Amino acid sequence: MYAFTLHRPSSVRQAANLLAKSEDAKLLAGGQTLIPTMKQRLASPASLIDLSLIEGLSGIELRGRSIVIGAMTRHAEVADSPVVQENLPALAELAGEIGDPHVRNMGTIGGSLANNDPNADYPAAALGLGATIVTNKRRIAADEFFTGMFETALGADEIVTKVMFPLPKKAAYVKFANPASRYALVGVLVSKRGREIRVAVTGAGANGVFRVTAFEEALQRRFGPKSLDGLSVPAAGLNSDIHGSAEYRAHLIGVLARRAVAAAAG
Amino acid sequence: MAMVMDGEVQLPAPREVVWAKLNDAEVLKACIPGCESLEKLSETEFQAVAVVKIGPVKAKFKGKVRLSDLDPPNGYRISGEGDGGVAGFAKGGATVALTPKDGTQLSYHVDAQIGGKLAQLGQRLVNGAAKNMADQFFKNFVAAVS
Repeated sequence: MYAFTLHRPSSVRQAANLLAKSEDAKLLAGGQTLIPTMKQRLASPASLIDLSLIEGLSGIELRGRSIVIGAMTRHAEVADSPVVQENLPALAELAGEIGDPHVRNMGTIGGSLANNDPNADYPAAALGLGATIVTNKRRIAADEFFTGMFETALGADEIVTKVMFPLPKKAAYVKFANPASRYALVGVLVSKRGREIRVAVTGAGANGVFRVTAFEEALQRRFGPKSLDGLSVPAAGLNSDIHGSAEYRAHLIGVLARRAVAAAAG
Repeated sequence: MAMVMDGEVQLPAPREVVWAKLNDAEVLKACIPGCESLEKLSETEFQAVAVVKIGPVKAKFKGKVRLSDLDPPNGYRISGEGDGGVAGFAKGGATVALTPKDGTQLSYHVDAQIGGKLAQLGQRLVNGAAKNMADQFFKNFVAAVS
């Protein structure tokens, strides 16, 4: 590694102050993207602000009809949580399929959402379940949070503190994982809460996670996999790389959405 | 890895104005995403420094930008190569053609190559990132000519 300054604040306020006044600083949550990037010298921030010593940033609790998850909660904790498994099994399953055991034991939900990798799983969870992202300054609806590939609505000195998931009546996540990285080549989360239906897709869009309104409208009429028969997503605007063409991804979205609806409805 | 990208942009200005702006170092500097400096070495050569930021990756590229095949006010080719240190290298260019139509219609054909770690590790992101940068450039450029 190379020389950089490591700050270890004990409160979110201290962390925000450090972030505001340090030039070229990065927040360090679980470090599962940032540290490998630094090791490859593809990023060399002058200082890191480690969030791991701040109390109260991690944990899972059921509050009314929502599950509230602290930003520093690791993926493995979400996957193993009895509260999540019982009330929102789709989220526990999604967390259990992220990366490998190392990534799941270090990576955090706040870090994943703030990074907004276009192939990551948690953005699909947040958008597909209509989550609210809470920061040190405000609450941001998932629909407004993700603004492009690796881009979010977060301000320069804004820190995610927790994520609130309203409990759906039905939900399921199905992904087609890259066998090496376990990143989603395409992942689809489908949920139904009252009259609201959401279909969120990760891994496929050139601008990151997105909703498929045509699928949502069809599922409004009847929530079953047959409702999606004959519907597809245009390949224009989807990612194309060595793992799959835009047309292949468009096809996968349809297939995985049907499977997710079948799993959620069943 | 090689990359090809085509596109068209509608600009609300006459062709002569668009042509002049396309040859103005200050305008180019303001429009290129992450451009820190663009110095004119001659009528057709510039020295450039740009910071490319894609998510966690942040690399500074230094290099030369050249204008060739100048055919005022119909178009030109802008090409360059940049050295991003340990991150790798990028080289390539864009052929730009201007047609008078409701103002000016600008069509471009980009061909680029990137190599080194950036290409190796950024494979799944490079096309999307390049598209975003082109969109950003033309958004800025539309504002500059309006």
